[in-house]
Amino acid sequence: MTHILDDYAILSPLRYKNNWLKLAIVTFGILAGVSSNSPLVPFFIAVCMSFATVYFGKIPLRFYMKLMAAPAGFVLVSVIIIAFFFGEGEKLFSFNIPGYTLGVSPAGLNMALLVLARTLGGMSCMFFLSLTTPMIELFSVLKATRFPDSFIEIAMMMYRYIFVFMEVALGVRYAQTVRLGYKDFRTSFRSMVMLGTNLFIRSWEQGEKLYLSMNSRCYDGKLMILEDKRPVKLTEFLLTSAYFSLVIIVFYFTRNMFVV
Amino acid sequence: MVILETKDLSFSYPDGTVALDNINIRIEEGKKIAFVGRNGSGKSTLFLSMNGTHRPGKGEILFHGKPLKYDSRSLREVRKNVGIVFQNSDDQIFAPTIYQDVAFGPTNLDYPKEKVKQIVHKTLEYVGLMHLKDKPPHHLSGGQKKRVAIAGIVAMDPEIIILDEPLANLDPVGADEVMDLLNEQSYFGKTIIISTHDVNLAYSWADYVFLMSEHKIISEGTPEEIFVQPDKLKAAHLRRPATLEIYEEIKMRGLAKTNCCPRDIPDLVHSLRSQHLLWVDVPPEVKEGDYINLGIFYGEYAQNSAYEAANCKVLHIHDDGLAIAEMDRKAFRAGSIGIYDTAKYSREDLLSIIERDGVECVGAMGKKSKLIAEKDDIYLDVTAGVIDRSILNALAGQRCLILTHDGMVHHAMDRIRAYMEKSGINIPVSVINPNPEEQSKQDVTKSMMT
Repeated sequence: MTHILDDYAILSPLRYKNNWLKLAIVTFGILAGVSSNSPLVPFFIAVCMSFATVYFGKIPLRFYMKLMAAPAGFVLVSVIIIAFFFGEGEKLFSFNIPGYTLGVSPAGLNMALLVLARTLGGMSCMFFLSLTTPMIELFSVLKATRFPDSFIEIAMMMYRYIFVFMEVALGVRYAQTVRLGYKDFRTSFRSMVMLGTNLFIRSWEQGEKLYLSMNSRCYDGKLMILEDKRPVKLTEFLLTSAYFSLVIIVFYFTRNMFVV
Repeated sequence: MVILETKDLSFSYPDGTVALDNINIRIEEGKKIAFVGRNGSGKSTLFLSMNGTHRPGKGEILFHGKPLKYDSRSLREVRKNVGIVFQNSDDQIFAPTIYQDVAFGPTNLDYPKEKVKQIVHKTLEYVGLMHLKDKPPHHLSGGQKKRVAIAGIVAMDPEIIILDEPLANLDPVGADEVMDLLNEQSYFGKTIIISTHDVNLAYSWADYVFLMSEHKIISEGTPEEIFVQPDKLKAAHLRRPATLEIYEEIKMRGLAKTNCCPRDIPDLVHSLRSQHLLWVDVPPEVKEGDYINLGIFYGEYAQNSAYEAANCKVLHIHDDGLAIAEMDRKAFRAGSIGIYDTAKYSREDLLSIIERDGVECVGAMGKKSKLIAEKDDIYLDVTAGVIDRSILNALAGQRCLILTHDGMVHHAMDRIRAYMEKSGINIPVSVINPNPEEQSKQDVTKSMMT
């Protein structure tokens, strides 16, 4: 079976840490990264969060690199374009293509680096959250934020049956593939439609079965939502505070600093 | 005492298909019941009628002698006491974590939070899945999911547990663990009802069997009565259990005693006629009618014990020195079965017992005991069909030890005693580390085998 982000999160040791602490770290990281004018702050955040995810979260480095490669590749392309087309004035370097002069100005380069740093910083924060906090844990956070119970319950069941239907869908797709259901565009299209129809009917049936089985267990409109008490430990608190203060210090000293 | 009864129960689906046709059954409290029939014979519909999901078109269902009522209050009461484990665990397990799923029933019974927590912990401990409590169900194997489904029902403490095809899609080890759980529940006084098309399972496990075919009950009785009627089995589109099949074949060849009805392998072994006559090479000075000492048999030559002294009476001598002799075997040492209650487990204690008694075959029954053995690196010779295997090994002269706990200690004891009663062969059996108050009840039998 293919591993998805949620599977890594479930196995991560950081899963059992206080959810609010993790949310606070992530929110702080994103806010600090976005509001800083210097690329150093988001870079610093990206390094710290990646380290935390890989080292404390025990996420395989290879997997993490692969995960980061997607947004990083995208942002690198954008950064090159931004560097060339942003900013006016004196060029740091330039070259001629017939009829046009392309150059990079200091303002453009600064902007490019800032965009790169902010993207990486933001993504590393999001990955930290999604690789250490599985959906299961977020349900109790939703519960604590006074989200209506019915929504949470539906979300919980949806979460559970995503995996059931994913397995069904993979099975059906495999069965179609071995009978050449995806041999060309036309047949692929037909097969996809059949897969979709099948899944729809199955989910309908599953709904009825679910209703039966819940009734058989005296369903009375109540689902148990876990509210584990996980107090923040002193070391965790100190580490987080140190991280926050470091970010703020970097933020303060680099507020008017530009790379070039 | 009859706990559940149906009278002229008929049910049709809204589209007019008949699903149940005049069902009259009485289910005794505390029994192990099997409904056997091919797919589509109406077993699942019958089960859903028993907990009030399907309202019968005709006839009625009596629970503890009172007819089932269909207002929400009475339905709640019935569903609390008649738990159904569905065939497909994914239909039943819908919560994102194991813990929440097991907590679902108790929460809906309006128990206070602390009590729910306590029940869930106890139940998960009992099915041996405590270490997976925060995992989502899609990370579990089929057997583990089935145990979660059973835990979800057991947590509500019902009087009757109904399982629809409990062993469907399970591997042998998973199936064995599920059967262990059911036997234990049965020992705790629950009425267990299963549906199956596996005749071997129904034959060896159930106390009472209903054969279903074409939405009707076509026959009922104890397994020994039901499965020896070929016409009834044929009508239900079933075949004879393998044990009976083998027994019939060896009986026809004159190798087995007649009028037995072996339900499991120890029974089958017991039904074999002992082999008395054999060919032996004899020295020239031996005459017909003499007794010769063949020495000591051991290993695979010893049939009843680890070591056997064999004396033979020579019946007839051929010219080439081969003689037909009638063997008289005497066991030197009978095997024994010890039962170790892992509720009072300590590693040193167990190892010293294994050392002291010269135990040759250790088996574990129940998830908890298996986990203990695995954790402390105790080698298990037997993990499946432990009681049967231990009886067979003890018959072959081995000293066996069964690691088990709680209700299963007595269950094992009863099973072995039942075998001794049936076969007339005495196997020394005892609980090695009994509770102090039970020490007096314990009997250690020391007699040799016949």
